Amino acid sequence: MNNGIIPISDVQLALSVSLVLVAGGISALLRLGLLNSLLWGTVRTFVQLTFVGYILKYVFAANNLWIIAGLIVVMCFIAARASVKRTPNVPNYPVTLAFWSILASTVLVGFVVVRIIINPEPWYSARIVIPVFGMILGNSMNGIALSLDRLYGEVRSRADEIESLLAFGATPWEAVRDCVREAVRSGMTPTINSLMVVGLVSLPGMMTGQILSGADPHEAVRYQIVVMLMIAAAVALGCLLLVGLSYKRMFTPDGALKAEVSSSKK
Amino acid sequence: MAKLFEIRDIVFSPGGGKRQVRVSGTLDEGSFMGVRGPSGSGKTTLLRVLARLRGAGEGQALLEGRGWSEFTPVEWRRKVHYMSQKPVIFDGTVGQNLRMPFGLAAVHGDTAFDGSRVSAYLERLYLSESILEQDARTLSGGEAARIALIRAIIVAPRVLLLDEPLAALDLRAASAVTDLVCEWACEEPGRGVVIVSHAGDIAALPGISYVETGVEEGGSK
Repeated sequence: MNNGIIPISDVQLALSVSLVLVAGGISALLRLGLLNSLLWGTVRTFVQLTFVGYILKYVFAANNLWIIAGLIVVMCFIAARASVKRTPNVPNYPVTLAFWSILASTVLVGFVVVRIIINPEPWYSARIVIPVFGMILGNSMNGIALSLDRLYGEVRSRADEIESLLAFGATPWEAVRDCVREAVRSGMTPTINSLMVVGLVSLPGMMTGQILSGADPHEAVRYQIVVMLMIAAAVALGCLLLVGLSYKRMFTPDGALKAEVSSSKK
Repeated sequence: MAKLFEIRDIVFSPGGGKRQVRVSGTLDEGSFMGVRGPSGSGKTTLLRVLARLRGAGEGQALLEGRGWSEFTPVEWRRKVHYMSQKPVIFDGTVGQNLRMPFGLAAVHGDTAFDGSRVSAYLERLYLSESILEQDARTLSGGEAARIALIRAIIVAPRVLLLDEPLAALDLRAASAVTDLVCEWACEEPGRGVVIVSHAGDIAALPGISYVETGVEEGGSK
């Protein structure tokens, strides 16, 4: 019994590697220098997903609240680490700040979705909680990386204006308010774009997965709507939290712009 | 004349290097203090230190006998205002640029925007009233410098820290700016100006005294 899923055999799985060979061939032809990365990425995809498959099998079977909570904390930490690494404008940003922002926004939104909207039995059912939190994290990670990078980029490029505002007696918040706005907007733009084109240009992965596994398309759509909205909420919250926690780090205790982001390092 | 502002043994490192400069001096009400020193000696840094936009290694500045630690940084900067050499212009019209500081809580709370005063200052500095509607990003360097000066004085600080305010100006405009700043400093008690300037003759400014940044701590130049 496979609930409508058409199983993929080992041979069929191996055949999918040929798709990467097409991409690799183009890369080699144009000398893009991406062949090694493509091959390494393919190996990692196989290893990581197979490994996760085993873990999920164990977690789903155990269905224990504490194991699920522990897994979510680990996922948040990995997401926080990955997001601060994607910020070229922000050297040595502390992972802990990103971690707390991601954890808070993910848990808040994820809890509302799982406990109130979907409400499975038991409410912490691993089959629901893990995919939901995973989708939130995947999107929050990109959002906060974009926000953080934009915040530092904006403050650096507008340092003269910020210092001028400070010189008039602005508080640090008044001085960077516009930069914060831009940063949050930047983090949310991909999510808003995906809300605009979903179903028209793209069929989201979760919905596609459900349809492939034999679910009724109407049910899959309902789930996808919940997922899209929860992602929007989590990304907004995560960006706002992280940017809110971050802007103060750019100022000295005296409320002056730190030398590393100031226009005048004199 | 009463003592308005004092620099008391402030030590700082221009450009964050190893060289340390120690500065002391006093500024009376209605008077000017000139900052002298060769290029790179830390004149701009000193003004930024006095505005608490940069930290000092030692020492402090006092306003009417009260040390800067007795003020919050926001209160201090509200009273001791630094105007940078490069005029800072924000998006929007010139009028919006002039009103910009009045949107800040610290300024909004104690000073109202006075349109007639702005008109008078524009005329004094050879700028027409129609400039208020102009996109501020289209101003020439000299126009931007004069608008930045008007914006600095209409918020009524106690001490104005001016960094090369005449650098982008022709002789006529420089003379008008100098006259306006002198008049501003003297028209009400409790005002004074600290100025860095290579251009013009600041020796003629009222009650001018000088501090030097070219002397390293320990005495060597």
